[in-house]
Amino acid sequence: MTTAPSAPPVPSRALAALRRDRGFLTGAVIAGTMVLVAVTAPLLAALAGQDYTTYHDGLLDSARGGVPIGSFGGISGEHWLGVEPGTGRDLFARVVYGAQVSVGVALGATFLEVLLGVGFGVAAGLGGRWLDAGLSRVIDLVLSVPVLVMAISLLAIVPQDWPRPLLLATVIAVLGWGGTARISRGETLTLRTRDYVAAAQVAGAPWWRVARREILPGLTAPILTYAALLLPTNMVVEAGLSFLGVGVRPPTPSWGQMLSSATTWFRADPFYVFLPGLLLFLTLLSFVLVANGLRRALDPRQREVLR
Amino acid sequence: MRRLVPIVLAATVLLAGCQDGGGGDSTASNAAFDPATCQGGTLTVLNQGGITHLDPARLYTSGGGNVPSLLFRTLTTRNRQPGEAGTKPAPDLATDLGTPSDGAKTWTYHLRDGVAFEDGTPITSADVKYGIERSFAPELPGGAPYLRDWLKDAAGYQGPYKQPDGIKSIETPDAKTIVFKLSKPEGDFPFLATATQFAPVPKAKDTGTEYEKHPISSGPYRVESYEPKKSLVLVRNTHWSTKIDELRYACPDRIEVTSGLDSAVINQRLVTGAGPDAAAVTTDAVVGPEQLAQLGTGSELDKRVTRGEFPSTTYLAFNTKKAPFDNPKVREALSYAINRTSVVNALGGSAVVGASTTFLPPQKALGHQAYDYFPAGEGGNPEKAKQVLAEAGLSNLTIELAHQNDDSEGVGPKVASAIQEAFKQAGVTVKLTAIDSATYRDVTGKPATQPGLALATWGADWPSGGPFLIPIFDGRQIITAGGNFNLAQYNDSEVNAEIDAINALTDPAEAAARWGALDAKLGKLALVLPLTHEKDVYLYGKNVKNAYADGWRGQLDLARISVK
Repeated sequence: MTTAPSAPPVPSRALAALRRDRGFLTGAVIAGTMVLVAVTAPLLAALAGQDYTTYHDGLLDSARGGVPIGSFGGISGEHWLGVEPGTGRDLFARVVYGAQVSVGVALGATFLEVLLGVGFGVAAGLGGRWLDAGLSRVIDLVLSVPVLVMAISLLAIVPQDWPRPLLLATVIAVLGWGGTARISRGETLTLRTRDYVAAAQVAGAPWWRVARREILPGLTAPILTYAALLLPTNMVVEAGLSFLGVGVRPPTPSWGQMLSSATTWFRADPFYVFLPGLLLFLTLLSFVLVANGLRRALDPRQREVLR
Repeated sequence: MRRLVPIVLAATVLLAGCQDGGGGDSTASNAAFDPATCQGGTLTVLNQGGITHLDPARLYTSGGGNVPSLLFRTLTTRNRQPGEAGTKPAPDLATDLGTPSDGAKTWTYHLRDGVAFEDGTPITSADVKYGIERSFAPELPGGAPYLRDWLKDAAGYQGPYKQPDGIKSIETPDAKTIVFKLSKPEGDFPFLATATQFAPVPKAKDTGTEYEKHPISSGPYRVESYEPKKSLVLVRNTHWSTKIDELRYACPDRIEVTSGLDSAVINQRLVTGAGPDAAAVTTDAVVGPEQLAQLGTGSELDKRVTRGEFPSTTYLAFNTKKAPFDNPKVREALSYAINRTSVVNALGGSAVVGASTTFLPPQKALGHQAYDYFPAGEGGNPEKAKQVLAEAGLSNLTIELAHQNDDSEGVGPKVASAIQEAFKQAGVTVKLTAIDSATYRDVTGKPATQPGLALATWGADWPSGGPFLIPIFDGRQIITAGGNFNLAQYNDSEVNAEIDAINALTDPAEAAARWGALDAKLGKLALVLPLTHEKDVYLYGKNVKNAYADGWRGQLDLARISVK
């Protein structure tokens, strides 16, 4: 089979553009740090000499409702970010382990969504009229489901001993792959009219080879951009679900859960609200910056506008 | 004669001292209080829980956030005092606490003169009897279940709508006299007679399930408007006066109850005290960490706080029919391992809960006797727990702990997590099982579905050891169909016999001592693992006077508050 007319690769020009993009670089550094923190959470906690479950009753003022003794939520040499009011658990350990849940669930859900969305989208785009019509209705259905409401119902009925973070990622992905699928289908429909795709099909390449070698490379740029935008959305959904009490189970920490329990402490211990709020904000901002940078670098129309 | 002076002086100083100690934070505002001139104004009540059914037959005991007793007078009532004095009943519609005869199996009451309904009709003993009969009707569920068990031949009675002949064991020989014939001796009858089901209901005005829309008042106020769970507005009942009721002061002209509010919102509104909130109180929203952080710092808030205690215990319930909790060594080991300080903090800190090593809460009226057979200290004794488990040949124990899925009733994830961590220190792995709070009691109260270990709370229906211990430890009270509270499923004929013997006592002090001794005896078996008892801290608006928590419920007594 001749491979002469091939899909355009992600141009090296785009990488050069990304390297010059200050917003993207800032976002990438923060996002990279968060991922690193999530991956090395056990190590970081060990470095601090703390774990996220041990109660430190002695560090709380029980008569005043259990607020941490000392300023800024009881920050000390041992507890770098202070302790959690009401329990005295080390906040540094809870924050880094919370990053595992927040970042991990968001990444996992996004990965699954891309997998499902691209699979369905490409199949609909390449398939015949009837397959396209059928799959498109399924995509419409998924897009019309209210994610948060449906996720709450689903998470409320599954047995409690299922692994929660995996379950969260799956539920968010299963309810949220519609957008990716629609974009993939649209791009596939455009790409299949291109000469090199038509040539491959005329040459008798089976559909899966066309999909893998001719369509997917062309999908990389838009899907990468879209995935970078999905990531913060999924993070917000996870935080929302944990905030509403259907996320991870205690004692596993998550930023959304921390925000939820902080609502009763926002006057007595403001630092406790500030911490997960700031981290969520920074992480979301960094992912959005990365997504914007990618879009600017990869989107041909955007590039023309910028010139 | 001259020697008298110093004695009188000393007595005055002593009295002043007592008042300081007893009145606590509210002495300043109480100094100006006089029940004779306290009338006027509108009192606002801001509550979380609302009254679902304003029908004396459907209200449980005499609770309802202390609101129902403003409308419904009963044969006896709480005597509306703070502290220990408030744990005693006082005559209300009746002239005394009741005359027992036949070894406390017959109780006779006489109505006082001049009592009338809100329309001026005199209240008769037949009205009281009819009110009680209504509470047996299946159409009107919700009342306290004791009478069905206590009254002779009344267990199958289906209420006056289906069986208009009434209950034969309640006799009304004349319009002023009512006699109760019981199937067994019950010395606590004067306590039960405080329940709202003992309120008179005029048969001519009874509209069945519609009665709650406008129940006929016998108390100082009558209903102006009522929206279930949301709002209740009370205005003066002109046929009531302090001449026929010395216990209620009924100071405000109007009382507006708003329910369904969030606890944090209520307390923030009380702190701010804007507009009508300056004359506001709450009877069910205990202060949160925000207010606790300000209390005791010399702030203005310190003058507007009252502290009470409701006899109630939060505990871990062992199902002794289920492994491994059938093994006393396991129960003892966990009793050593518990970290009560963590549990106290999880429930809001030492201002609102106290650590308990006894099942009976520390009120004297319940007969509390101190004991600590498995000393865990403040932070738990995991070493001793490990040792007990090792002696029993148990290691790497994994257990499941059932709890409610929210923290509103104090048996939720926060407390469960604290317990999980404490047991982990003793090498016991705890798996948490969250159960929807709406079905929690259905699951735990049915022996067939009851988990091995569950978080539970128990509050006294009245301040006596009986209603605290009987449903939990009387083996004859194990209900297999559901609604069981004997979660240990403990049945011992000796204990059952002792319960019967104490029930026959009519002297509360004598009974209290025996209840305390029984609790101390049961404690050795580690059938339950007591965690904490309740303390209540309530804020009130700056224009509120004579606000104090009564000793019975630990809540503000609305019948004695003034906003003038």
